[in-house]
Amino acid sequence: MSDTAHLVFAVLALCALGLIIRLVRMQALKAKYSVLWLTVGALLAVAAAVPGVLDWVADQVGVAYQPALFLLLGFGFLLLLAMHFSYELSRLETRVRTLSEEFALLRHELDEERD
Amino acid sequence: MRTAVVIPAFNEAEALPGVLAELAAAVPEHEIIVVDDGSTDDTAEVAAAAGVTCLRLPFNLGIGGALRLGFRFAAGEGFDQAYQFDADGQHDPSQIPALLAGLEHADMVVGTRFAGGDAAGGGEGGAYRVGRGRSIAMGLLRWLVRRATGRRFTDTSSGFRAMRRPVLELFATEYPVEYMDSVEALLLAVRRGFTVIEVPVRMRERQGGQPSTRNFRLAYHYVRVLIVLAAGMGRRNRLGATT
Repeated sequence: MSDTAHLVFAVLALCALGLIIRLVRMQALKAKYSVLWLTVGALLAVAAAVPGVLDWVADQVGVAYQPALFLLLGFGFLLLLAMHFSYELSRLETRVRTLSEEFALLRHELDEERD
Repeated sequence: MRTAVVIPAFNEAEALPGVLAELAAAVPEHEIIVVDDGSTDDTAEVAAAAGVTCLRLPFNLGIGGALRLGFRFAAGEGFDQAYQFDADGQHDPSQIPALLAGLEHADMVVGTRFAGGDAAGGGEGGAYRVGRGRSIAMGLLRWLVRRATGRRFTDTSSGFRAMRRPVLELFATEYPVEYMDSVEALLLAVRRGFTVIEVPVRMRERQGGQPSTRNFRLAYHYVRVLIVLAAGMGRRNRLGATT
């Protein structure tokens, strides 16, 4: 990796880490997501700070073209995350639906009381 | 024997008064439950003015969601049986006795527009005509449901249905909430071991309005029902293995 590319990568990683820490400090993320994103941020920071680390890991697993490993990991992570969000969304939708049913029933009861 | 009429209504303020009046004249002993599915017009006011029970959802859940709420309410109020009725005037109150008579031999009764198992709609009650596209789609659904249940239903998407309390209780919590709920509900009832029969009924043409769904959305929902069917078959096999 050229020096310029390395610098850009380091800056981007720092930005990402900064954003994550800001969100965690604001308590805008649930604890489980805080842990997840802090881990991701830390990994990015390590990869940016130590240029040889990605190459070394790729060598260890036997991947000849190092960027492929990075992309594979990134893609796999995003895929799992998207699946997890779909699951959470489905659950939330069910809950909202049940709540709206309860709401309609309670509103009806209230109407009855008032009459 | 207490009977509930569940009427899901989304922006039906115009057609609803006529339907409610017809029902009051034809079946005064039945208790009407209108489910206002997040309407933006005066649907709820119209229902209240007619003096029937009206459940108001805070936002639009779709017809399946509205039906489930209606069934949940009816089950909670201790009704012995219930039937669905359209708010847009498509269903004919004179056909209600025939529908309910079916409950003497079954847990659930589906009013079919295609009498006597005649798929083309030429049977005695088959005054109902559909376009070619819908006809093909309905044929596909019939075939799928037949594969899934091993039974032949001529009108899988009919929304004119009656059920006894056990099915009412099932639907109160598990009624399918996505589009094509009627097909899924039919499968659900059959799968849970309830006897479901069809009786021929006369229906009116749609009074104004357009079909609610565009072609590509329809295609998506067909694929979705296909997946539901496949998942259900797998489940049935697993259950079969344990019992």
